[in-house]
Amino acid sequence: MMPDNGHGNYGKRDNGAPCMTGQSTGMAWSILTEIRQLLKALSEKGEAGSIDLRSLPMTDADREQLEEILGRGEVRAELELAGASEVWETAYAGVWWVRHKGAGDRIACEEIAITPIPEILITHPVDIEAAATRLENELSQGPAATDLHGQDQENELETSNV
Amino acid sequence: MSDKRTLGEMLTDRGVSRRTFMKYASYTASILALPPTAATAIAQGIANARRQSVIWLSFQECTGCTESITRAHAPSIEDLIFDFISLDYHHTLQSASGIAAEEARHAAMEENAGKYIVIVDGSVPLKDDGIYSTIAGITNLQMLEETVKDAFAVIAVGSCAAFGGIPYADPNPTGAVPITDIVTDKPVINISGCPPIPEAMTGTISYLLSFGSIPELDHLGRPKAFFGETIHDRCYRRPFYERGMFAKSFDDEGARQGWCLFEVGCKGPVTYNACATLKWNGGVSFPIQSGHGCLGCSEPGFWDLGGFYKPLSTAKGDALKFVGGAAVAGAALGAASAVIGRNKRSKILKEG
Amino acid sequence: MELLEFARGPALQFAITIFVAGVVFRVVSLFMMWRTRDSSEGSSRERPVVIAALREIIRRLWPQAAYKERTMFALINGYVLHVGLALCVFFLMPHILFIKDLFGISWGALPNNVIYAIGVITVGSMIAALVMRYANPAQRIISTFDDWFSWLVTFLPLITGLIASSHLGARYETLLGLHILSVALLLIWLPFGKLMHFFLVFVTRSQTGAHLSHRGAQL
Repeated sequence: MMPDNGHGNYGKRDNGAPCMTGQSTGMAWSILTEIRQLLKALSEKGEAGSIDLRSLPMTDADREQLEEILGRGEVRAELELAGASEVWETAYAGVWWVRHKGAGDRIACEEIAITPIPEILITHPVDIEAAATRLENELSQGPAATDLHGQDQENELETSNV
Repeated sequence: MSDKRTLGEMLTDRGVSRRTFMKYASYTASILALPPTAATAIAQGIANARRQSVIWLSFQECTGCTESITRAHAPSIEDLIFDFISLDYHHTLQSASGIAAEEARHAAMEENAGKYIVIVDGSVPLKDDGIYSTIAGITNLQMLEETVKDAFAVIAVGSCAAFGGIPYADPNPTGAVPITDIVTDKPVINISGCPPIPEAMTGTISYLLSFGSIPELDHLGRPKAFFGETIHDRCYRRPFYERGMFAKSFDDEGARQGWCLFEVGCKGPVTYNACATLKWNGGVSFPIQSGHGCLGCSEPGFWDLGGFYKPLSTAKGDALKFVGGAAVAGAALGAASAVIGRNKRSKILKEG
Repeated sequence: MELLEFARGPALQFAITIFVAGVVFRVVSLFMMWRTRDSSEGSSRERPVVIAALREIIRRLWPQAAYKERTMFALINGYVLHVGLALCVFFLMPHILFIKDLFGISWGALPNNVIYAIGVITVGSMIAALVMRYANPAQRIISTFDDWFSWLVTFLPLITGLIASSHLGARYETLLGLHILSVALLLIWLPFGKLMHFFLVFVTRSQTGAHLSHRGAQL
């Protein structure tokens, strides 16, 4: 990481305080090496793996570089659960990018999942059970009574009332 | 207040899907520095847990820790923690007050005996029988002792509760002590910092919920997941330190270039916290990134480290205080020794 | 943290106090001792005292031809040791800041990595000096506690400084505390052993120079 003494290629954010977010450190290539290993294991032994990106010292430039190299594949999903999340398969089948966003659309956590399908996309049996019950209730009330999309599913997260 | 449903059932009833649990579990695994595969176990653990009763005691504190852990923005996964816990007692956040509030505390203690968590912020004064901080007519010491009796675990949140903090700083007029000085028979987790990083607090509570046990702690009782590394060892300005490129004062050329802040007093080398990796305000920045040296706020006695703007390599206090007296004393002793020597010689010469 | 706070605070204050008292004591007691007055007439070749003193100090920086070959290793090693120590002490930024805090003066620093390399070389040089003293039977016989202990209190700050920089073996604040305590030990011992040569070498060489010049010895 060679700092530039002049008008260096530092990322500018937080009122111009230089913090090297605009510099690529080569982390993208290290991660790719690990992805290669994990993908091989998935292909040969069926073992899923994953890399937590948050724990790695990545600059914004590194992240962009990694995204660019991995590219986009055939599948993309936008999730709305306690904030937005995005999941897409990269141009390398079996290599998925899972990006969870928190408050204000900032990235809360990110991982590269090497798997046939990331767990977050699979619907949980408990949710299925709850949905089956709900549909049962809806239909037992008759077709005209309610609009099938009527039951608001607001993910209301309240602080507890003390 | 007590809910016999598991958290999984409770949130399903409220329309929160298990998939949202998984997202929260992934986020928690990430900040606890656990492998992503631990997310499944965490999701399972939380779903099967009962809503955790938490009693929050506030003593000699500034409420900064509460400010840190709460938010005033759109609900997000970071806020889920407030669904997982039942905050049965908290001076700032509770709606009840006076006798009703104290009754709520006692009711929670009885109903959840052996299972509730006590979170404490602020230090406890002991001088003059602890009269310098009282709530509902009893001293902090009394309230602490009676509340932790049937608790499952105690979390000392903030440097005041963990190490004494501001009230403990020289000359400590109220005789403030950290919680670990008083609670010796229950596990105490110290989450220090002034204030602590919110994820450090929520992550630790999530860990307790998911696994039912205390995470690995360092020699000062702090979770290693957040306090295992120094700021210095994770600081992005470290290459400048190694190369000897330092900002000499705030806003000078070196500071504008983002050089190391050692000369303007950064205590990063001896401070253990997650500021350089997790950062603050949801990963936006941390003091060094914003141009100010680390204060060492998660370490014991950080107010008395010698000065926020005095470099770490300087002497603490006045090292030259007694030098004048020392020189005089040395000169006197030297003169005396010379005189004795001379007299001895004269005597020998006379006799010889 | 407590060890570090003790080291930076009371320990350093005590050590500096003893150091000043000790150095003043040694110098005063030395200069107030009797001196045999030399009332002889000086040679025609006598130089002013100050000039003679300075000439001798400079002359003794390098050995005379007759002794040069036999003492060459000790000579070079000695210079590496002294220059290395001086660079490590006076050109590492945290050390400069320490002095600036005490006396208000400061100067430019060398990069930490460069100082680290110099430190490693100096460690080698110090160990060589120790081995030389031990391996030479004559030197070993005449060596006293002062010789060995002075070597130790000089070596400890150097090695603890390197260990602290490398974050080896214990928590950083503990290593730093030990480093500062080792410096305190050095400061306390210094006035009472042969390390006083940091000042006295100039006194003795000056005296020799003045004396020889008075006699008209060709310098």
